[in-house]
Amino acid sequence: MNKLLIAIIAGAGFAAADGAFAADAAAGKEKAQMCAACHGPDGNTPMTPEFPKLAGQPADYLEKALRDYKKGVRKNPMMMPMAQGLSKQDIKDLAAYYASLKGDLKVKY
Amino acid sequence: MKFRSLTNVGLFAVLASLAVPLLAEGDPVAGKSKTSMCAGCHGIPGFRAAYPETYRVPKLGGQNPGYIVAALKAYKAGERNHATMKAIAFSLTEQDMADLAAYYADAGNK
Repeated sequence: MNKLLIAIIAGAGFAAADGAFAADAAAGKEKAQMCAACHGPDGNTPMTPEFPKLAGQPADYLEKALRDYKKGVRKNPMMMPMAQGLSKQDIKDLAAYYASLKGDLKVKY
Repeated sequence: MKFRSLTNVGLFAVLASLAVPLLAEGDPVAGKSKTSMCAGCHGIPGFRAAYPETYRVPKLGGQNPGYIVAALKAYKAGERNHATMKAIAFSLTEQDMADLAAYYADAGNK
């Protein structure tokens, strides 16, 4: 009985943790309004040539970029404050959203 | 008023002529000859950086050339901390950066 209870609780815990950190591109789209102002509504038409296109970039790279801005190890006066306000879940969702968009970016050798 | 706007045009022309030579003009053909240090990672679909964190490296083809230059300058200045990219950017001149940016800005492989 106790073992069963432990299994259920542990199972629920894992399920919750999994749910909390699964990337959700649709949720990312909702959170992307702040980003769109500079990176473009499609993630492919940045406002100035110094801003990167994001559409189609690998999700794990985008997550790393946002984590680094948040930690302050990637220094940029625009992006550091933006990333400060993002939770781990926000970062996963935004990265999944921009990775899912089709734009100009491709692997070039 | 007319004189003033003419003065402004003149001033703008002077400023523009000063500004242009300061910006390195990128040459995509020269850029192609400088990609040997880039292609081993960025030229392989799905390539993962292994240190210090594992993630797929960014796609460069079709990227904004101004951003590529800004990224390389940030590595060189220590504002981005990837060890390999810092070392590579440190070896590049501003002309190299502009040439590489011009090469990668075109998404096509040629």
